[in-house]
Amino acid sequence: MLLQDAPAETFNYMAFGYSVILSIMGLYVLSLISRFRNLERDKELLDELSAKAEPSIENPSDATR
Amino acid sequence: MEPVPRSLKILTGITIVLFLTALYMVFIYAPREAIMGDVQRVFYFHVAAGWVGALAFLVTAIAGGVYLAKREPKWDRLAESSVEIGVVFTIINISSGSIWARPIWNTWWTWDPRLVTATIMLLLYFAYLMLRQGIEDPDRRARFGSVYGIAAFISVPVTFLSIRLFRTIHPVVIGSSDPAAEGAFDMTARMVQALMFSVLTFTFVYATLLRYRIRLGRGTEEVEKRKMELISL
Repeated sequence: MLLQDAPAETFNYMAFGYSVILSIMGLYVLSLISRFRNLERDKELLDELSAKAEPSIENPSDATR
Repeated sequence: MEPVPRSLKILTGITIVLFLTALYMVFIYAPREAIMGDVQRVFYFHVAAGWVGALAFLVTAIAGGVYLAKREPKWDRLAESSVEIGVVFTIINISSGSIWARPIWNTWWTWDPRLVTATIMLLLYFAYLMLRQGIEDPDRRARFGSVYGIAAFISVPVTFLSIRLFRTIHPVVIGSSDPAAEGAFDMTARMVQALMFSVLTFTFVYATLLRYRIRLGRGTEEVEKRKMELISL
């Protein structure tokens, strides 16, 4: 490589390098989005469960029906 | 979950603009390197990713120290979030370096001091994330994480200095390379500007991701707390 008079043809390696860099960053961002969505779903489920649990706390006989 | 604060929306916007500008600087503004050709352009994001890895682990060590002093969970949340991002960027750093090495060193991997120390650093922080998962008690987990985060930080200066202390083929861009180094090059003014801009951009990417990751951590803790309350009813 040192004795050459023109730059080496390394475009494919550059393209591969940036594909890997951008893919890893993209995957991490997607994983954050996915975890935020799961969290929202968990919160909705907890809201539903809390709403169901509340009447049975106020009136324990509801819980046995 | 509370809506995304305005400051975080602005930070996200600035980061996206900076990232697109960094891509322009790397691919168009910076000249093609005379010997290595286009693959040298990998170097800009490779160095920037390495910088973010080191910065993230430094933040973890500092946050760990503050947690041990104050015992406030927010510092542990910061430390854990920062490690996760640091691990992602260290993977980017090592994999992009490996791709650059293939045409320059004629191998994807070699047991060079820099590559070995960077891999050990990555494995140490992988272990941090995995070991945390195995501790149920939040206080114990936070204490363990803080001490581990401080101790593991030793690997960061060792990795940084490895190309300056040991005989290596890894080039030193800032400072003088070992005579055995392969792939060293003289940077033109535009190359230096592209590198500095990439480092600045990645610092913004880190700050943005960190804020989102901390929000996620806070939300997860709230859900866990509510689950416990429901179970105890």
